[in-house]
Amino acid sequence: MKALRRFLSRLGHFVTRRRDDERLRQEIEEHIAMQTAENVRAGLTPIESRRQAMLKFGGVEAMKQDYRAERDLLFVENLLGDLRNAGRSISRMPGLAAVIIISLAIGIGVNTTIFSWIQMILFQPMPAVTGASNFLLVEPRSDTAGYPGASWLEYRDLQTHVPALRDIVASQMMPFNVGRPGQTERTHGQLVSGNFFSALGLKPAVGRFIRPEEAERPGTESVVVISYDYWQTRFRGAPEAIGQNLRVNDRELIVVGVAPKDFQGTTPPLKFELWVPATMTPALLGGTRDLEDRTSRGFSLIGMLRAGATRQEAQSELSTTMAQLARDYPEASAGFGGEILSFREAPRGPQRLLISGLAILQGVMLLLLLAVCGNTANLMLARGSTRQREMAVRVALGAGRWRIVSLVLSENMLLAVLGAGLGAAFAVWGTTALRIAPMIGAFPILFPTKVDQFTLAFAIVLGVACGLIFSAAPAVHLARLDPQDALRSGSNTSQRSRGRKVLMGVEVGLAMVVLIAAALFLQSFHSARQTDPRFRPEGVLLAAYDLSGRNPDDASEREFAARLLERLRSLPDVEAAAIATNVPVDLHGIPRRPFTVEGRVRAEPGQDRAISNTVTPGYFNVMGIPLLEGNDFADMRDKAAPAQAIVNEEFVRRYLNRADAIGRRLQTRSQSFAIVGVARDSAYDALGEPPQPAMYFSYRDRPAEQGEIHLRTRSGSESALTAEARDVLRDLDPMLALYDVRTFSQHIERNLYLRRIPARMFVVLGPLLLGLAAIGIYAVVSYAVARRTREIGVRLAFGATSGRVVLQIIRENLAAITRGTAVGWLLALVISFHVVPNGPVNFPVFLGVPAILLSVATLACWIPARRASRIDPVEALRHE
Amino acid sequence: MKQKTDVLQGTLALMVLKTLDVLGPLHGYGIARRIEQISGDLLAVNQGTLYPVLLKLEQEGAIASEWGASENNRRARFYRLTRNGRKQLQVETKDWEQTAAIIGRFFDAKAEDLS
Repeated sequence: MKALRRFLSRLGHFVTRRRDDERLRQEIEEHIAMQTAENVRAGLTPIESRRQAMLKFGGVEAMKQDYRAERDLLFVENLLGDLRNAGRSISRMPGLAAVIIISLAIGIGVNTTIFSWIQMILFQPMPAVTGASNFLLVEPRSDTAGYPGASWLEYRDLQTHVPALRDIVASQMMPFNVGRPGQTERTHGQLVSGNFFSALGLKPAVGRFIRPEEAERPGTESVVVISYDYWQTRFRGAPEAIGQNLRVNDRELIVVGVAPKDFQGTTPPLKFELWVPATMTPALLGGTRDLEDRTSRGFSLIGMLRAGATRQEAQSELSTTMAQLARDYPEASAGFGGEILSFREAPRGPQRLLISGLAILQGVMLLLLLAVCGNTANLMLARGSTRQREMAVRVALGAGRWRIVSLVLSENMLLAVLGAGLGAAFAVWGTTALRIAPMIGAFPILFPTKVDQFTLAFAIVLGVACGLIFSAAPAVHLARLDPQDALRSGSNTSQRSRGRKVLMGVEVGLAMVVLIAAALFLQSFHSARQTDPRFRPEGVLLAAYDLSGRNPDDASEREFAARLLERLRSLPDVEAAAIATNVPVDLHGIPRRPFTVEGRVRAEPGQDRAISNTVTPGYFNVMGIPLLEGNDFADMRDKAAPAQAIVNEEFVRRYLNRADAIGRRLQTRSQSFAIVGVARDSAYDALGEPPQPAMYFSYRDRPAEQGEIHLRTRSGSESALTAEARDVLRDLDPMLALYDVRTFSQHIERNLYLRRIPARMFVVLGPLLLGLAAIGIYAVVSYAVARRTREIGVRLAFGATSGRVVLQIIRENLAAITRGTAVGWLLALVISFHVVPNGPVNFPVFLGVPAILLSVATLACWIPARRASRIDPVEALRHE
Repeated sequence: MKQKTDVLQGTLALMVLKTLDVLGPLHGYGIARRIEQISGDLLAVNQGTLYPVLLKLEQEGAIASEWGASENNRRARFYRLTRNGRKQLQVETKDWEQTAAIIGRFFDAKAEDLS
């Protein structure tokens, strides 16, 4: 309390700058006058009286200083003084300051950008929804089926039986065909429960949201809420959009409202445009009975805890309810439990994929920032040492250690904060650049990253941390300065230069790690582009169709695929056509299925899994994958042939010991297939991957709602087929839209997109880091030789050749650099083994990068060394 | 020659408060004289050191000051005890007496008392 009052009084003084030195002066005068009068009364002469009075009072100036120390906020005044001083001294070294600020800004900017992604995934999983991270996922789970989602009826039960959660919300992702017949456009939306918008706490931008009663009775209310972007692009943001009709899956829906700006649904980064009451499902999906079927699981549930309730309560209520449902509906719910999970524990979805990759990237970039700090520390140390004399004078005049440290600290902090500010600006630019990501795969994706207060705080914390890190060495060094020693000319102590050399070694080591990581990454990226995929992507057009809006059965799916292929093959420019459920080198990967095969007994527990793709006859022809043994699948309309499978070479090698595969039985999901052929290995997940075992099944045996059409063109310009393919599909069913049309080369390029962002980062950062390391080495060496000018002069005077001098300087410095390089190299090797266990060591990278780094380092040593060796010995000896 | 006792700042502050408590509002010179008289010249401080202490006490709110006229009609700054200061004095007096009593007991204690 007392301390606070004193502080306030001082603060008041500091702010108003009221100088009551005058009051003190008057008081002292009065005091001495009174004492003098007293002394005169005691019989002294007036002059002696005044002398005695002043003696008794003591040192006026010392007292005044004490008085001022009591009165003012010395700390703040010193700080302001230091900052002014720092500003001046930075403006005296514009080149050095620019190097430091820009390198810090890049380091901090990159880290902040990556952090904004991580922060979005962890803390703001749903843009435009306040408190989104408070929502919990409600996930039914069984040992055999994993996390398949909830059925509609299950959702209704959970809504009433888990009181710890208020307002559980259900949503299901659904692709819609929007528009008149023949001109439909595939648009992604969500089927939602009636409380969807109210529970998320959203306010409509225009109009209203879905009313709870509109999601009660099936198929009565034909309403739709559209996204803000959709409103802007399709309705030009006109308020008249409300009340208009939108034709969705061949049904007229009334637009009742527009969702708030930035809201993109409940499973970011997926971006949805339409929200329709879940009860519209039968009307929109050709009379499906999904809503009454407890085995039809597809809804994602989220809910927020009721005030005062705990996650444990919610979990136990959920478990009880799920157990009850399992007893009541054994055919649909037996074996199902439930889990309450937070967003960041999401068992499925794209967020999971992203977070680990981002974490690695962040780690590498923090290392880079550390290297930048080391570099800056070295530069400041070298510079600080040239100021030893200045500091020594300050200490000799009575400046305290802390004053010296704060002087250095304020200078470095100013640099760090400037760097952080510029870095934050970089991050703002970086996040907006990354936002504009194209549609990846069949799903519309938007990363709602932005620089907000958390990211800014992160940038500032990084900046301050950097400032502290690179201030520490010079500050300690200068504060320990012995003024006598430093003022004596030509003094040199080996201990200090050792500190700088260690720092130089550490920095080079860090540069080594990051450069190797960058090189490995770039190399894998480039080799991935150039490796033979072992199929022929050139001349192939890909396009997708989806029958899910038509509620098809197996027979109709099979028939549709067969007719589609017949029509496509009849096009003059089509050389071959096929349909498959999966396309290789897809961002989402190809599913793996457990199986058993005749002739294979698994020694260890668990199941064998292999890549699985379902294709039509003719697929291998289109893809240019030769069948090494056996035949292609039977015709689509062949009803006599048994269920068939084709496996690849690697499958035969790994599971059948290269024995004859044809005719063996393959079982998966309790269905049995006869192996009729062996296909050559090709790339499945990524170009350049090691061979993976794969199984192909026939569309004839396992038809699917969705299909990827593969068309091989005769003429070579595959994209010219787009219009014809669209016409064919429209003729077959006017309500169906061909979507995700792309050439195979585009498909591959697009799926390299996410890899391309870090690749570009490395392309910029690698040389930058190399440059930084070179500048750091140069600074240290040139400083060291400058201090040894006299010694070098003596040696030259005694007849040493300049070549020997240069060699010796290089040798001394290169020793520290080599040690750092070796440690960094080993670290990089360990990391690479950790990331890619059993992978081959990439010799070109692990030999080439050190070679480049060491040559650059040698050059950075050579330039100052050579300059020093050219000095005239007479000059050097005169050097102070 | 016997060294004159060093006066700790805290002690000086306590003396100032007690002086103002006993004598009422007083200027800096008066306070300095009073402290000298009481301590019987055993304690001779540079009178100037008093002023930073006065400022500190004023900032803490223990004393207040204003300009006034001294007994021989000179302009002088008079310090007086505030209510806070009186409270502080009571507390510190009690603390001081306790400390003094404890130390006194230690000095009185003989070896046989502890056995």
